[in-house]
Amino acid sequence: MNAEAAWRSVRLGYAYTLLSLKTVYREPAAVFFMVLFPVLFLVIFSSLLTFEIGVPEGAEGQVPAIKFSQYFVAGILGVAIFGTSFNLLGNSLAIQQYDGTLKQLAATPLPKSSFFMGLVGTALFYTLLQLVVMIALGVLAYGVELPDANGWLTLIWIILLGVPAGCVMGVAITAIIPSARAAPAVIQAPFIIFQFISGVFFTLSSLPTWLQWVAGVFPLRWVAQGLRSVFLPDAYKYAEPGMNWQLDIAAIVLAVWIVVGLGLAVLTFKWDRSG
Amino acid sequence: MPPAISIRGVSKRYGAVTAVDGVDLEIESGQVYALLGPNGAGKTTLIEILEGYRERDAGEVSVLGFDPQRQRGELNRQVGIVLQRSTPMEGLTPREMLNFTAKLYDNPMPTNEVIELVGLTEHADRRGSKLSGGQKRRVDLATSVIGNPDLIFLDEPTTGFDVSARRQAWEVVRGLTERGATVILTTHYLDEAETLAQRIGLIKDGRIIFEGDINALRREMETDTRISWHPPIGFDLSDLLDEWKSVRIGPDGRLSLPTQEPTRHLSRLIDWARNRGLEEIPELQVERPDLEEMYLDLVDDSSALGTQARS
Repeated sequence: MNAEAAWRSVRLGYAYTLLSLKTVYREPAAVFFMVLFPVLFLVIFSSLLTFEIGVPEGAEGQVPAIKFSQYFVAGILGVAIFGTSFNLLGNSLAIQQYDGTLKQLAATPLPKSSFFMGLVGTALFYTLLQLVVMIALGVLAYGVELPDANGWLTLIWIILLGVPAGCVMGVAITAIIPSARAAPAVIQAPFIIFQFISGVFFTLSSLPTWLQWVAGVFPLRWVAQGLRSVFLPDAYKYAEPGMNWQLDIAAIVLAVWIVVGLGLAVLTFKWDRSG
Repeated sequence: MPPAISIRGVSKRYGAVTAVDGVDLEIESGQVYALLGPNGAGKTTLIEILEGYRERDAGEVSVLGFDPQRQRGELNRQVGIVLQRSTPMEGLTPREMLNFTAKLYDNPMPTNEVIELVGLTEHADRRGSKLSGGQKRRVDLATSVIGNPDLIFLDEPTTGFDVSARRQAWEVVRGLTERGATVILTTHYLDEAETLAQRIGLIKDGRIIFEGDINALRREMETDTRISWHPPIGFDLSDLLDEWKSVRIGPDGRLSLPTQEPTRHLSRLIDWARNRGLEEIPELQVERPDLEEMYLDLVDDSSALGTQARS
């Protein structure tokens, strides 16, 4: 690809992002479920569960116990990342594959690369929107403490790797969605399971080892762990498997998912599944 | 100028069904060509092979010099496509859709000009969910033409429209065709083909069974005049029916004779009646069926009276 074609692809990717952002925010139901749902979860869980999480073994005396909300905000941000990338993207893509929207788009000279850029751009935008809303809410209402400078940096790369990983999963899963109506069911099932085995609601160490391994194959577990490293005191790494935040493994797993998932997504992607 | 489209021996099967069966076709640049045929004749399969949506099982295809199966990216820059189903625009307005689409082409028409061309000026800023089927179709037409394409595909552009919406859509399509692009249109309405196209290909069971302009189609189909009458009660017609094997019996009991020699046959019928003392042949009519009727007869075998009469 020469420079001119690359620039055209980026320019059109940006244009497609804007168009698809518009499509999403004019669909009130989509905005509600995407943005409000995780926020609602944060509100409900933080209000219901006001206990403190005990200091992990090996870190006694170093730090005070933390509130549940501090633990939960990390997990729910992970859910938000995959809610917009995997869940929402997979759903809207499946609908557009069956209702002719993408079939029409395939008739235009829009490069495939721009199209995928638009998908990631849209997911990134709404992830950031949720991030801002939830962190603000957590800080103002539930006494969540903000991360330090190092934490912010980690947060940024977790998002920059996590969102594309979720996006390629969202594209790839459309290959097994048999109809637009089946899309929510096909996507929700794995998404809910991921949430329960990835340390969002329960600490990872409380899961049986084999389930930890299963979760370890998928990105949400690593994103959630990375986010805990951002929001929890460093001493809480003793509660993690291996007594370590394992950020290096997280980065590798996410990168592998992006590369393998992108290959899978490009190979199996179809503009039109109606016929 | 080389032909806009040139295909040879194109076939496409779905399981046991042969949707397109060895079609050869050549379409000149600048022409409006109608692919006419009943539902299920293979029109959409054929046009989607030309557009690049479907892969052919056999044959050669050249569209503007490209093979749509392998060079779709290049082809898309010069082609506009109106699909059979309108694009659901959800929350977007026609202007937003068109502004975005314009960015995809090297040499687009100004959005306002296109909006005016398809007659959407009053609805350009209304969301897709609030547009009627006819208005959405205009957006489809506008989208297909905004990139200044050399070739436009229109797959059943007016199916499902009422009469006035169809006439309006035809006006729009005529406006597009006057811009000089080659247009390929599929339709199962004869009047649509007649109104819009200079050349017509009649497709049935995956084969092109006729090609030519509307007058040639007329000549091809309108060869016969029909003499029809109600069989008089109490008269034996067997000698007449033996003589005229092609007499058909209609559902209402009328007899009709398709003929290229109406005068001779009419005079024979009158002689037959006179010889039997019949002063008036009941409900006698001599008519030339219109093209639409002949077309329906041709594309739908089951409606041909002759097959009922002889079976």
